Amino acid sequence: MLGDNKRNISSSYLSTNKSWLNFKENLKIFFDKKLNIFSFSLVVFLIFIAIFAPVLAPYEYDIVNPSNALAPPSLEHLMGTDTTGRDIFSRVLHGTTTSLSLALTTIIFGLLTGVSVGAISGYFAGIVDEIIMRIIDVFMSIPGVILALAMVSILGPNPVYLVLALSIRRIIQFARVTRGVVLSIKELDYISACHAIGVGHIKIIFMHVLPNCIGPIIVLSTVLIGNVILMESTLSFLGMGIQEPTPSWGTMIAKGNEFLTFAPWVSVSPGIFLFLTMISFNLLGDGVRDHLDPKDKVAT
Amino acid sequence: MFLKVVLRRFLTFLPTVLGIATFAFVLGHATPGDPAYAALGIDLEGYSGVDLEEVERVRKELGLDQPILIQYINWMWNALQGDFGRSYVNDYIVMDAVLEALPNTLYLLALTMIFAIIIGVSIGMISAVYQGTVGDLLARLISIIGVSTPVFWFALILILIFAYSLNWFPIGGSVEEFGAKALVLPVASIALHPAALIARMTRSSMLEVLSHDMIRTATSKGLFRGRIFFVHALRNAINPVVTVIGFQTGNLVGGAVAIEVIFTMRGMGELLISSIHDKDIIVMQCAILVIGISFALINLLVDLIYLLIDPRIRF
Repeated sequence: MLGDNKRNISSSYLSTNKSWLNFKENLKIFFDKKLNIFSFSLVVFLIFIAIFAPVLAPYEYDIVNPSNALAPPSLEHLMGTDTTGRDIFSRVLHGTTTSLSLALTTIIFGLLTGVSVGAISGYFAGIVDEIIMRIIDVFMSIPGVILALAMVSILGPNPVYLVLALSIRRIIQFARVTRGVVLSIKELDYISACHAIGVGHIKIIFMHVLPNCIGPIIVLSTVLIGNVILMESTLSFLGMGIQEPTPSWGTMIAKGNEFLTFAPWVSVSPGIFLFLTMISFNLLGDGVRDHLDPKDKVAT
Repeated sequence: MFLKVVLRRFLTFLPTVLGIATFAFVLGHATPGDPAYAALGIDLEGYSGVDLEEVERVRKELGLDQPILIQYINWMWNALQGDFGRSYVNDYIVMDAVLEALPNTLYLLALTMIFAIIIGVSIGMISAVYQGTVGDLLARLISIIGVSTPVFWFALILILIFAYSLNWFPIGGSVEEFGAKALVLPVASIALHPAALIARMTRSSMLEVLSHDMIRTATSKGLFRGRIFFVHALRNAINPVVTVIGFQTGNLVGGAVAIEVIFTMRGMGELLISSIHDKDIIVMQCAILVIGISFALINLLVDLIYLLIDPRIRF
């Protein structure tokens, strides 16, 4: 029974942990696939745009020019202009910064909180685990967008609160995955050995239990980035996310909805960028999942 | 045995509903602003002539002067009877509005799910059966594109092509007005994402089942290929697909909110968004409670279906 259990774990989590140590070799196997190179380059390209948007953008994102409102795409304005004559291309580039930085903050915050909650829940078990799991059940049964909408409506549409609202679902997802791994690890002999020689709980959790979660957590983080970007743009589209004049793809698409007939470029252009971002992160997430978690253990 | 499992599943459903209700209650109280002022239609900022006696009277009438615990119990009791009172902002009975909106959303989502399952399972099957061919590549390409396309943007593109340019379908409008035509674009937009996910899941699950010995046996017995794929393989491959369908209902609701706003359809999502915009807290609470409970019910249903189609988990 114990032997079975051990083999199971070593074939999935421990092996990822071991190969995590052979970082270089792992990367080489990962980049042997052309699709992974492709998606990784796309993501790097997007991050490049996000960082250097102020330099790359031909215009300032908030300079209005009402005399040139709703101009169609031309050499001067690659994606045309919006109602106040702002250059859409520049705003789309700046939108990359907004989207990626929000998504990254959300994932990091969700990861840190979720992993802690999951580790505590799985490690200490008993009543603590029971309470945390019931709370998680409640939050799981409210659809993600609705939950985020509810949070933003109480807290107000401020970027910090937006990150909080977007994080709740992530915290739960990270907590569930971490808890699962911790539950299976803490019964192993080497953890009992740690207890026997008097290693403290905190040290056991951080030094001996959590390293086993690295694989699944990397998978979950990459898979979730696309998710968070989508949710942020949905909230912005509904007017509950990033507010004007800060450029956000969701808000820009919503603005263009009003003049879809005679100025389709206002909605279509930011959408193309949003789509490209989603597809790059989804492909990368798939690649990472196939590489580290071939049995699809991390349900999203 | 079977009944016991079902009963146990029901017992986890109750605390969830209680939790959702508590969340909705807390939400109402955490929202900034005084409900008594809101009920009187007074915007606090820049308003000096507030009749404090009047405010006090309304506060008493709404039971806002009582301790929070009593308010909680009262709210729960009323919620249990489906009584959420009147909307402060738009002066209608909240439950009536919800009862009008909920069937529309459920209808839309049910249609979407059926459509997504048909499209998704077919694409997944084709992809798995013709693994490695151009068809497989195309099917996988479609599904990765489907997963990555934002629902609301896709809806706008569909409107641009099929409503404005080709004039095939109306933009928005109700079923009474345009018949089934009014639902085509909304359903197609929301279905894209779940269809793509179902296709991926069906493909990987089918590929695994197709490598089993029983498929080889069936083939060597000379069974008709269609029978092997649809009866023998699909029956065994469908379980993970049902799980994905269950997971997807939540995302569907999220997509439906944006779609209802775009197509100006009366539904729970549109009700929720307009209540948030109007700061209509009672409607918001009620909408979140009803959406949460419906979603929990759908999950319960998926679990029960799962029990029915996979006897192995009736332990």
